[in-house]
Formats: sequence, structure tokens, C-alpha cells
Amino acid sequence: MATAVVVARLGELYLVGPDGRARSFPRAASRELPAAALPAGLERELRTLPGEVALVADEPGRAEAISAVLGRRLGLATDETLRSARRALPRVARTAERAAVLAHARATLERVLASPEEVLISLAREEERFERAVGREQRAAEAFLAPEQTSLREYAAAWAAVRASLERHHERLRDRLAEQARRVVPNLAALVGERVAARLVAGAGGVEALGRMRGARIQLLGSRRRPSPERGPRFGVLYRADRMEDVPPDRRGAYARSLAALAAIAARADATTRADLSPRLVARRDRRVEQLRARRP
Amino acid sequence: MTPRVRLVPEPRSPRLVRREMRDRTELLTEAVGALPPVYGERWLHVGERAYRQFEPGRSKLSAGLVRGWTGPLPAPGESWLYLGAASGTTASHVADLLGPEGRLYAVERSPRPFARLLALAERWPNLLPVLADARAPRGYAAWVGPALGLYADVAQPDQVAIVRTNAELFLEGAGAPVVLALKTASMGRERDPAGHLEAATRELASFVDLVPSVRLDPFHRGHFLLGGRLRGGAGGPPRSLRPVTRAARPRARRRS
Repeated sequence: MATAVVVARLGELYLVGPDGRARSFPRAASRELPAAALPAGLERELRTLPGEVALVADEPGRAEAISAVLGRRLGLATDETLRSARRALPRVARTAERAAVLAHARATLERVLASPEEVLISLAREEERFERAVGREQRAAEAFLAPEQTSLREYAAAWAAVRASLERHHERLRDRLAEQARRVVPNLAALVGERVAARLVAGAGGVEALGRMRGARIQLLGSRRRPSPERGPRFGVLYRADRMEDVPPDRRGAYARSLAALAAIAARADATTRADLSPRLVARRDRRVEQLRARRP
Repeated sequence: MTPRVRLVPEPRSPRLVRREMRDRTELLTEAVGALPPVYGERWLHVGERAYRQFEPGRSKLSAGLVRGWTGPLPAPGESWLYLGAASGTTASHVADLLGPEGRLYAVERSPRPFARLLALAERWPNLLPVLADARAPRGYAAWVGPALGLYADVAQPDQVAIVRTNAELFLEGAGAPVVLALKTASMGRERDPAGHLEAATRELASFVDLVPSVRLDPFHRGHFLLGGRLRGGAGGPPRSLRPVTRAARPRARRRS
């Protein structure tokens, strides 16, 4: 049976007809999917195709979009059909291909990195790096300003100014992070705190990935020691979760376990339904904290 | 005066050279791009050519070569598809092997390493990066041209299936080289590495004529390099895709 194939290559759309010849239909402005913007020439061409010619597209999304415009069902090209259609496409000069691929790569990267989730991950990593750096500076400065180093006292004021500016920056960073976390993972942020929620998302690699994790995995996200049957780590990022300080030190492992289980529920809600479970989860968390405090001998 | 550097090209891929030294052998690839180093590797300049050290500890392909990989390699003038390029450490060396006439379509899913891959691609003239998930080849087919070979380092539980769908869509003709760096640690803990290797070998053997796989320990624990040539009808790749053969290049043996 005769088949016509709609194929995209380097931002242009081609129609490879039953005769095996390719015709190109340049897209107007945007090189990006979705294929909803069907070039007018291509649409005309597709409408004039006789009914007995099977019409297929290279990609499910494109088949869908063209079907909607045309009012005629488009199939998905098989690997073999698509390969022979691609062979019929005109050869692209090396430099043109390179320019198109790089432009597309830049555009997709920019789009992906601008998503709220990726912004949250970037902020979480930046905040973590910054906190480490500031802590290191702090210790260095304390040694530097020890009482016996009186000859260096005069630098103290200058250093204090630097430190104040660093702290202002850190404050701003934390505010932005908290706001972003409340937006992207509201339940998790309410349960464990904004900063820890952001670090959990960064550690998992995304909200969806975090939503697929079990509590046991969340409990150990960001932990350094290798899990072993005899003596594994009890917390990773969760060590700095909300209300951890309210729990006696010898019960913190237990709290981390319970909190991780609740965090798994919160993450799942944030990744899927976006329902607001936070009051119930926070209530359960607080009940658990009270239990752990009460059980202290 | 520096002693003369003796570089022995690899017959399967002449841009890969071995440098015999008194106590060890180093692998190097002839650079396609210019300095600075891509990831802190050492560069060696011999006459007008620049070579980059190809360290087995950093790259699974290099480890495979050190451990005696007998399978196909990227050769100058070919187009290859690279799945799981990450920030481009190994991909830059594969691009080196393909030479300035070749093309390397490098697919990576994760945006952060991809940012570094893109920065590398801007100055590595035969590297073409694509930000996409290798599981869905239809999604990026528009940005990948016909490929002669496939190298995959995807570290996913379904890595062999990913190789298969990509090979079926992009590789032209039987005999196309397929190389897979298998990470057994991402295939679950129900089996040990040897068990995973056996399962992956069986799965891959259904569409690839395999050469003996090599273990990448101690450079990469629990990793294997396997692959061979795509099975299929008779005849090699179409004429248009055969590598550009050039007359034997004069071997520059200038004093450095």
C-alpha cells in the first residue's frame, strides 16, 4: 500500500510521498515542537492526498496534532518506513546541521532549566554550597581572631563587614529557596521545612523521582556512610528537618524513620495529585514527636 | 632535549594511539578541538598534532581497551550515536576518534551535565548534543542523522532495550557496530554482576553478533563492555554511509 510520511528533520517538516520524493515545508518562526503549528503548504498538500494513500507521522505527538487539524486519523510510522523516509530527505550541509542542532540544544536546555522544579534544584544546590563555604570561612575567622593574635585585630572590622554582606546574601537566597519550595512541593515543605524539602528534591533529581521513592530511601537521601547491615546511617538530609531538635538525641533515628514515611506520602501528593495533605501530615508528625519525648525513661 | 615520542596507532581506529613507555602503556586520542582540556586530562603535542590522554579510570571505553576489547571502534569519518553522554568525558574522546569528518550525536537526558556537554560541543566541531531521553528515540529523531555506529553508556535497568530501540531506528544496515558499557549496579540486586552480564549478553545476542565482552574491573567496578555488529541482511552499510577513506595519511614524525 502506498504510504506518505510526515517527517521532521532539523526543525523543518518534510512530506515524503508515495513516490519516495521528499518535499520540505519550512516552519515559520518557531523551530520547537509541538507540531500544532502546521505549515499552511503542508496542510494543503495533505488535504489533496488521495484517500487510499496511508498517512503516517514520525512521532506520536505529531501524528496526534496533525490528526486534529486534518480530521483524519494519522498512524505512527514503523521503524522501517521512517528509515526509508529519512533516507529520502535531502542531505544537509555539515555547518547547517551543526548550527541547527546547537541552536535546538540551547533552546531546550534553557526551557528545561527554567522550569520551577529545576530552579528549586539549582537553588538548593547553591544554598548548600554557600552554607558550606560560609561555615568554613567562619571557622577560619575564629582561628584568625583568637585573642593571642592581637596584631591582626585591625582586620576584624573589615572581616565583619564582609561577613555581614555574606549573611545578607544567604538570607536572600534562603527566602527565595523557601518560596520556591512552597510553590513546587507544598506538602513536603510544610512537613520537613523548606530547605530540607528542597534538598530532598535535589538529592532525588526531581519531584517525580522523589515521589516514586519509598520512605526508607528518603530517610537516607544525602547520607554519607554506605548502608551496611551492621551499622548503617540513620539520616541524610532529614537530620536537619523541622522538629528534629525537639526529639531526644537517642530517639532521633526513630523520628527520622517516621518522618521519612510521612515525607514519602507528602512527596507522592506533590508529584501527583497536588492535594493539600499538610495539616494532617503535620498533625501526625507532631503526635510522633510527643510520643518520642514521652517515652524517654 | 626531550626524547622522541613514539606513538603507535591502533589499526581499528588510527586516531587512537598507544604510547609505549618504560613501565606502562598510555592511550591517547588525537584531539579534534583545541585547548583547554575538557575535564583536566593531559595533552601531548607532537608536531602539529595534539593528543589527549585517554585514561581508563575516567572512561569505560578506555578501560575496555586496556582490558583487551576486540570489538569494533569508532573510526575516522564515521557518524556515531552516543547515548548517555553526560558531561562529555568519554564523548569527547569518541568524537576525537571520529575525526573532523565524522559526527557524534550525543544524547543526554539530565539538564545539568548537558549544560557542560553543550559548552564542550560549542568548541568541539564534530560533537552534536541532543537533550532528550534515550528511551524515546522518536522524540529526538529529528535532530539525529543516520548513524553508522552506536555507543551506549546509559546505566539504566533497561539499558539493553534502550540500545535495541535506538539501533533499530538509527543504525543503517547489518554489520553496524554496537558498543554497550554495561553497568550491572543499575540492574538491581537480585543477581550478581556475572548474572546480569549473562542476562544482558543473551538479550543483546538476539540482534547483535557479539564479540567477547570484557570486564572493566578494577577501573570501573561491576561494569562490562560488550557489543559487536548488528545482525541483519547481507551486505554492509549503504555506500553513502561508508567512512570517508583517505589516502594513507603521511605520518608526521617531526621532532617535538
